[in-house]
Amino acid sequence: MIRRLVPAVLAVAALTAGCGSSDEAPPLDPDKLTIYSAQHKNLVDAWVKGFTDETGVQVQVRQGTDSSMGNQIVAEGSRSPADVFLTENSPAITVVQDADLLAPVDQTTLDQVDPAFRPSNGLWSGIAARSTVLVYNPSLVSEADLPASMMDLAQPEYAGKWGAAPAGADFQAIVAGMLEMKGEAATSAWLDGLKKNAKVYQNNIATMKAVNAGQVPMGIMYHYYWYRDQALTKDGSKNTKLHYFKNEDVGAFVSVSGGGVLKSSKHAADAQKFLAWITSPKGQAAIAASKSMEYAVGKDQPSDPALPPLASLEAPAIDPFTLDGPAVIELMTQAGII
Amino acid sequence: MTRLVVTGVSASYGSTQVLHDVGLTVEGGSTTAILGASGCGKTTLLRVVAGFHAADAGEVRIGDRTVAGPGFAMPPERRGIGYLSQEGNLFPHLTVAGNIGFGLPRAERRDRARTAELLELVGLPVALADRRPEQLSGGQQQRVALARALARRPELVLLDEPFGSLDAGLRSTTRRAVADALSAAGATVLLVTHDQDEALSFADQVAIMRDGRFVQVGAPKEVYSTPVDRATAGVLGELVILPGHGDGDHVITILGRLPVAGADVTGAVDVAVRPEQVLIGPAVGAVGSVGAVDAVVDAVDYFGHDALVRIVLPAGPEGPAPVVFSRVVGDDAPTPGQLVGVSVRGPVQAFPHTVVLLAPTDPT
Amino acid sequence: MTTTTPGRLAGPAPRRHPSPAGGALVLAAVLVTAVSVLPIVVVLVNALGQGWSEAVADVVRPRVWELLRNTVSLVVVSTSACAVLGVTCAWLVERTGLPGAGWWRVLLVAPLAVPAFVNAYAWVSLRPAMTGLGGAVLITTLSYYPLVFLPVSAALRGLDRSWEDTARSLGLGRWRTFARIVLPQLRPAVLGGCLLVALHLLAEFGVLAMLQFPTFTTAILDQYEAAFDTGTGSVLALVLVALCVAVLTIEHVWRGRRGHARIGAGVIRRPEPATLGRWLVPGVSALAVLVVLALGVPVYSLGHWLTTPGATVDGSALAAALGSTIGLALAAAAVTCVAAFPVALLLRQRQSAFTTSIERLCYLASSLPGVVVGLALVLLAIRWVTGLYQSATLLVIAYAILFLPRALVAIRTALAQAPGALLESARALGDSPARAVVRVVVPLALPGILAGLALVFMATTTELTATLLLAPTGTQTLATGFWAASSSLDYGAAAPYAVAMVLLSAPMTWLLLRQRTVIA
Repeated sequence: MIRRLVPAVLAVAALTAGCGSSDEAPPLDPDKLTIYSAQHKNLVDAWVKGFTDETGVQVQVRQGTDSSMGNQIVAEGSRSPADVFLTENSPAITVVQDADLLAPVDQTTLDQVDPAFRPSNGLWSGIAARSTVLVYNPSLVSEADLPASMMDLAQPEYAGKWGAAPAGADFQAIVAGMLEMKGEAATSAWLDGLKKNAKVYQNNIATMKAVNAGQVPMGIMYHYYWYRDQALTKDGSKNTKLHYFKNEDVGAFVSVSGGGVLKSSKHAADAQKFLAWITSPKGQAAIAASKSMEYAVGKDQPSDPALPPLASLEAPAIDPFTLDGPAVIELMTQAGII
Repeated sequence: MTRLVVTGVSASYGSTQVLHDVGLTVEGGSTTAILGASGCGKTTLLRVVAGFHAADAGEVRIGDRTVAGPGFAMPPERRGIGYLSQEGNLFPHLTVAGNIGFGLPRAERRDRARTAELLELVGLPVALADRRPEQLSGGQQQRVALARALARRPELVLLDEPFGSLDAGLRSTTRRAVADALSAAGATVLLVTHDQDEALSFADQVAIMRDGRFVQVGAPKEVYSTPVDRATAGVLGELVILPGHGDGDHVITILGRLPVAGADVTGAVDVAVRPEQVLIGPAVGAVGSVGAVDAVVDAVDYFGHDALVRIVLPAGPEGPAPVVFSRVVGDDAPTPGQLVGVSVRGPVQAFPHTVVLLAPTDPT
Repeated sequence: MTTTTPGRLAGPAPRRHPSPAGGALVLAAVLVTAVSVLPIVVVLVNALGQGWSEAVADVVRPRVWELLRNTVSLVVVSTSACAVLGVTCAWLVERTGLPGAGWWRVLLVAPLAVPAFVNAYAWVSLRPAMTGLGGAVLITTLSYYPLVFLPVSAALRGLDRSWEDTARSLGLGRWRTFARIVLPQLRPAVLGGCLLVALHLLAEFGVLAMLQFPTFTTAILDQYEAAFDTGTGSVLALVLVALCVAVLTIEHVWRGRRGHARIGAGVIRRPEPATLGRWLVPGVSALAVLVVLALGVPVYSLGHWLTTPGATVDGSALAAALGSTIGLALAAAAVTCVAAFPVALLLRQRQSAFTTSIERLCYLASSLPGVVVGLALVLLAIRWVTGLYQSATLLVIAYAILFLPRALVAIRTALAQAPGALLESARALGDSPARAVVRVVVPLALPGILAGLALVFMATTTELTATLLLAPTGTQTLATGFWAASSSLDYGAAAPYAVAMVLLSAPMTWLLLRQRTVIA
């Protein structure tokens, strides 16, 4: 009866599905240098173009988010087709490092980067940096009323007055910095305060726009969203100003974007060349040129002129290697934030 | 003319055995009706012959081909049968012509002459050829289904209660048309039904099935007048049961000493009389009376063409007053309360006495 | 002295279905069912894999109580609101002398073509203050009330007036007749629709993420984003599955096994429509308000954002997303309908304990939210079937699992157009089984099968949650593209994606109206 047709139809459907699906994700070309990137697309595109123009090495990029790309690499293990991994924050690359998947970075590359922005173990390098900021709406809160330290925000007097996007990797990096500086108890208490007192948004842009719209007076996020918006239409930030905590406060945490070479890379030499290029003066200059508004981390490299100099931000000194992403997740889970 | 021979067929559904070692022969060109109650297995036997159900044991031969035997069963499409089910099952997505031509080779399917010939065979106007099944009445649909089955000139035609879903009025006309078409086609026919009128009128041979076995096989007249047991008698028509006492080739009942059809009997017996054998005439003693017993007419059910008269006989020394039914021509129906003479015509059936399980009811 | 009852006995024996299923059919059906239920198994194993005490600790956190409170209150309030709205609208359209009832019917079903998260986007982009339970209830009610409206209006159309006539003859007034005779008849339809609404709400992600209203679904995705392969996400998923099973059970119990017998065949006689009189204007206005809120707001909002100057629309990205979406949807439709076939064929056979358990398992699998299926498949691919990780095949499998129930209903209905007796007739007329299928079953079942394919296609084009979890890096669908844009509150960029999704799923309205049963 019909059952004789079933295997035939199943086969046809499998074939069509197979044909259909192979069109969807463009397969990776094994001859090209493969970059798994969680960094912002326009910056990575600028880097790739500059690198290929100079060296002729063909590059292909897989775009994703910090956690998903990091975990994908860990899951793929030694079979991963990735040659280079670029992140937005350091916890993600630390996860890959802890899985023993990174090859040591060439010393010449490391020497190009400010020591504050690379781990002491030399398994990966900083490639860009961003600073924590407090964005506020001057019509809702005056400068005098701003908190002196980010730790103060957990106090009841700031209840309902600030917002953040704690589910994102960006904020989790900031909390990782806090954990490193203040320890588990203080971080836990602060997270409880966040849970009770802060408004939760989907991501940094949403936080900024909410402050801009007057829904909440203050927000914690990274600096470059504000500068980008200011450079374009100012739609999301015209009613806002930035406040830098400085004083090596937790709130002055500078998060390092990381770049590393995978041990399993089949193009190790080219991968190292890529890292070398993006941390070179040319590569770091591309950060400013691409208008991504992130900070350059190369030794003595200038960032976009619109930004306050990195040194002036008085960021706390934290070895990016020590940031413990999973512990932060655990603390946030216990605090009931995620 | 193809002969159908079924030998020793047993069949089951799951763990329930439905047919027990059943055998039947249908002579070429004749019609046999299998009569039985729901669930007795008659449809199963038909489906075994058709090839839709596999028998556990036994053999089916159509003509000189063995189509089912131990360990093998020819698929239905190769048996060269015509099959007509109760619902007709015309294909809703095809026209009448499309349905009729369904089983024919592609070249012949477009042959309008053949379609017209078949429509005429079943007594339908040729104009119906382009209609859709849902536009036809039930009887017309069944006839088209028959034309479809006959299109391939099958050797054997199997009918599964084909008139059951038709309105009473349509039933007899459709039945006649189908019988005419089948005999014109010269087919061997096996019909399955639970309707005794259908079985008796349609078939040359009646096979009565009970619980997966044939209890009696024979010509309609034979089965009707000499049923093998009381239950069979009941299947074939209405019965009036009277107590009696066997006396060799006669029985003694309240309606007199009556000849027995079949074997001699002695002792207490149940005497079965058909209502049409119970005669009503003027009361005993009146002019022209032929009755053995006087009785009062209790009620008359008038059906137009005939009437069923309920008569209460005088009560005997033991038991309540016996009630008999008489079937008379409509014009001759008496009136309730009338005194009439009751007698019995023709030989009666006598069966060993069984405990009464049924309450007195009307026969219909 | 007795008479026997004569030979006119009861009707013919009950029709038996065609021959019992062949081995290949059973195997295929079991395989499909097993894959459908697999997500529950994977999630269970992963949740308990971190240790029993850990799992328990994950469940008894205050956060989980918060999520439970939010989830349950959303489901209860929103489902009740949908029930009231759905029944009222159905009554107004089917049972009163409402002018233009045909148009109202279309307009009231049309919101189903707008995915709920697009509806949320439409509202939030115009009024960002819309957050919390109130906002969530408003938007989900406006999006999902048609799921109750459709079956209830179909049920009302099918009611014969004889019951109501009988009740009136026994002294019940109009309203009491409605309450005691009509409403109970509508119970299965109302309960069925409410079940669908509740399951959609339990699975809802986009709306609630946009409104910052945390429920289990949003929490599971947060856990996945943050920690990826934790037991915590799986534990939350298990709780969510438990909620779904609870909803299924409640509906089953409330529906009961009472049928409605209708003795005698014949045409259904429609009741006289109730005249609205002075309630006409308020009634029509109320319906108009509902349509404006449910349909007008999304349409206006999309139009507004499309035409806003300076909207940054990346044409090539949109085209790529459109291509991916259509490709995936076609593959999903084909695979799902083919997978549904063996199960549908098996369920056509005689009822047995085996077929009943298959049916029940499929029913259970039909309640799984997209997030659970997505999470389970990700875990499966990470741990055991690494070849499938980050592949489009895995995503298509997820779609197949999610939408198998819809395909199953459609295919079963389609196959019912060609009952086994027709196949027997064809075989008796000389066709081999395969030829009989081609010549009889295919023409009769084809319209229904195509409808099933279309429904799965359209459901896939608007699926968000599982796609977020499973889409291979580099693949963007309309839904994920929309999500990426609207997460950054870049409403102008999100609008074209939203419009494309609405256009692709608009034919669903027409199909559902034709179909009389709600499968969505």
